[in-house]
Amino acid sequence: MTIRNALRDHGQRYRPRMACLKKAEKVLLEMQDPCTGVKSQPQRLVITIIPHAITGEDIIAWLADRFQIDAQEARSFGSMLVALGYIYPLQDHKRLVIKPDASLYRFQTPYFWPTQQWPVEDTDYAIYLAKRNIRKKGILELHEQEQYNHLHKWMNHKWDFVVMQAKEQYRAAKERKKPDRVVFDCQERAYWVVHRPPPGTVSAMDYGLDRRTDPNTDETQTPDYYERIMIFTQQSIMRPRVKSSVSIGALVKYSATYSGHDPFLSKCLPSSPWLTDDTTYWTMNMSNVEIPTKMRVERWTFSFKELLSDPRGRDDFRLFLKKEFSGENLAFWEGCEDLKWGTAVTMREKAEQIYKTFLARGAPRWINIDGKTMEITVKGLKHPHRYVLDAAQTHIYMLMKKDSYGRYLKSPVFKETLKKAICPEEHKFNEVQLEQNARNRRPSLSPIIIRQQEQEQRAKMAANAPVDITQLCRFTTPVPHLAVYTGIPDPPSVTASPSLPFLAHTPVCPSPISVALDSTSASERRMEASDGEGNAEVRAPEGGNLSKSRMALSLRRLLKRGCSPSAMFASLSPKCHTAATTSSRIQPITPDEPSQAPPRRIGNFFQIKVDIPPECRIYPIESEDEDEENRPASRDAVVTEEIICPWESLTRQNGTG
Amino acid sequence: MTSQADTELRLAVMSRWRRSVDELTAGRRRQQAECERAQNALSRVTSCFQQLAASLGSSADSSFLREEMDETRALAHRICSGLSRRLLRLLSACDSAPVACDSAPVACDSAPVAVDDRHAAERLWVLFLSAVENFLSDLRRAKDLIGQFPLTQRSSRRSLVNTGCTDGPVGLAARVALVQIPWLVLEEEPSPDLTNHIASLEAQLGELQQRVPVAFWSVESTQPAWAEVLSDAEDPEESLEDLMEVEVASSGGGSIRLPACCQGTCCWVG
Repeated sequence: MTIRNALRDHGQRYRPRMACLKKAEKVLLEMQDPCTGVKSQPQRLVITIIPHAITGEDIIAWLADRFQIDAQEARSFGSMLVALGYIYPLQDHKRLVIKPDASLYRFQTPYFWPTQQWPVEDTDYAIYLAKRNIRKKGILELHEQEQYNHLHKWMNHKWDFVVMQAKEQYRAAKERKKPDRVVFDCQERAYWVVHRPPPGTVSAMDYGLDRRTDPNTDETQTPDYYERIMIFTQQSIMRPRVKSSVSIGALVKYSATYSGHDPFLSKCLPSSPWLTDDTTYWTMNMSNVEIPTKMRVERWTFSFKELLSDPRGRDDFRLFLKKEFSGENLAFWEGCEDLKWGTAVTMREKAEQIYKTFLARGAPRWINIDGKTMEITVKGLKHPHRYVLDAAQTHIYMLMKKDSYGRYLKSPVFKETLKKAICPEEHKFNEVQLEQNARNRRPSLSPIIIRQQEQEQRAKMAANAPVDITQLCRFTTPVPHLAVYTGIPDPPSVTASPSLPFLAHTPVCPSPISVALDSTSASERRMEASDGEGNAEVRAPEGGNLSKSRMALSLRRLLKRGCSPSAMFASLSPKCHTAATTSSRIQPITPDEPSQAPPRRIGNFFQIKVDIPPECRIYPIESEDEDEENRPASRDAVVTEEIICPWESLTRQNGTG
Repeated sequence: MTSQADTELRLAVMSRWRRSVDELTAGRRRQQAECERAQNALSRVTSCFQQLAASLGSSADSSFLREEMDETRALAHRICSGLSRRLLRLLSACDSAPVACDSAPVACDSAPVAVDDRHAAERLWVLFLSAVENFLSDLRRAKDLIGQFPLTQRSSRRSLVNTGCTDGPVGLAARVALVQIPWLVLEEEPSPDLTNHIASLEAQLGELQQRVPVAFWSVESTQPAWAEVLSDAEDPEESLEDLMEVEVASSGGGSIRLPACCQGTCCWVG
């Protein structure tokens, strides 16, 4: 039963509002005027004469005159009226177009108009099909037969009613005079051609998904409704204003830039799939295509946003950054996007992973953001939510946009891509080929499969991630299961587990400064910068000034030593056994390393004491620094450190997982 | 001695009981037949109503048409109310029948009959509700159209859509008048106007659904698919294509009949 149920299930059951219907009705009523409307003529049939037939050319002429448009547009407008079902063709009734010749049309009666309020009922369609069955002795079209069988199965409980009603309607129609009968039959047939077209037809009544609210009902004026209006107006008042010259100028500029790329305003090479049913355009512009089209590459030059939003452009940019060893910016940005748009279940883990990989002291792919942003971000990470990395992401985005993007456009990578880009030729299909294309229409890849492919690709990329630091350590290992590093790992095997495949090959672990030095373009700046300035940027002191000065002290001390930074830091890093000063090269870990517990020397920058208040946790402890200098190569079994996220409690009891 | 008297007494009771059951069954059958006839009549009246409503807003629209519509609607209203009452009575009777059966000391063979009756009553119920639903959607559409095309002034006739129909209700009125339902004469009720009619039907529909717990999916149709194709043994109807033939004067002097609607070979079924 399709009785409207009293339950409000908030389901999506309503047709969306089609605003064109009311407007079309107005136009149609204007056409009826005996003086200024469309000229009608009688249609002569063998058995009778039926008035009120109009020719296609008359309709087009009337529309062109009324709206002051050219013939082509009037023709499209007329075709739209036919496609919606307000006018139906008398000859060739299945093709809902207007032909600009003497072919005849007639107006549809208002009972059969596709008005917003009346959805098309399946019961009516079942009755119609039963009537047709009776009349044509069972000869129906293929799709009608299928529909009939389907409805018979699903409406079985009211099928007797359907058949009875069909018979009665059939007999009732016979009571009318012959011309009226013919007209009514034509009307009904036209109605169902519009609302139940054969499969594969592009129908004007396609509207996508159903909506949650009924557009026909008036909205009740509850206090909630008024409150929403008030909030809306308040926000409108608070909105910052832009001079119209500026905003219009921006619109004009946008239109000028993009008009050549708009598939409606200009040609779509090779051909628009919606017009010719040929999908070359889509296959050529897929996200993982090797050679992009020239138009696509040109779009990347419009703005940085265009470049990033096109997957192929992003790949190209990533390649360029890899060559420049500043890929962590893009990786961080992508990680933030992933966090923002990902599922809530994985959010916490993702935030931790991003912190460990990009933000923490000693992170393998440390990004260069200013102190204030870092402070805000780390504070926010105590209670991670979807937008906690927004400030940092914006900063990195602006950095990439202002700096790397410009260089990318001048780079050989881009020039190469531009040279190789193809410019396809336009298709010229004739009618026969167009019909063949329409017959060969196939559905595209299911979005589930596309998503799976994307995930596979992402996993593959993560597996051979371009490591843009000169040294590898176990922190650069991609950790697929997002292991949480917690507390002090007493048994070394526990900590060694997540990164086994990498451990054998990892040499020393770099400190963030070396990473920063090698990889970012700001690294040169840092080396030259004065200590205080550099420190203020890099490690925003949250504690008192004491720690700031201590950090300044430590860095200055380190830089004064005169060794190359990498050697210095190598000596201090946990895995180095050799004396600091003797080696100036990174040495790989000896093969017997993984079997025993690698004695962890704590680099200054990693040690975190338990009794330090949480806020200062990420900063090195200066007292150890002094001590370290005095025992350069001592092998105390010291408390090792994993990078602890600042929002985790510092109990050592946190096991793995 | 006493046992024989007992047996005789029992037999007498049984025969009286059986007679009453038979009477009940016959009564129920009569009621069912009456309801089925009423259902047919309702279908007829609603089909006529639909034909009339299809002319609303077109060039065939007139105040005469609207009066005809009102009369048809009133008739449908009377049939609906009478039929709903009788169906309710029928269903409740079928409900009580199995109970009476259980109390009989001897296994009665009216049990399957009662179940069949119950099925038939449910089927009629479902058909009635579908018919009312269908009629309701027609009523709503008619109300909207009357609102959109009021025939109050002479000038409003200019905006009527030129659909090719010239007059609507001829012949339909006669068909409607043929409807013979026993209670139409007996139970005279004032007919409501359109808005009230719609509102009352909606209320009735909701109420009926809630009062009688009939599982509509358990009702099956009595006819298989495509059965109606063979059913119509009346005068063979011409297809729409035949009706729409045009005469084309050929050069040879004779006239060729061509189907007006489809010139090409695109459809052979039309």
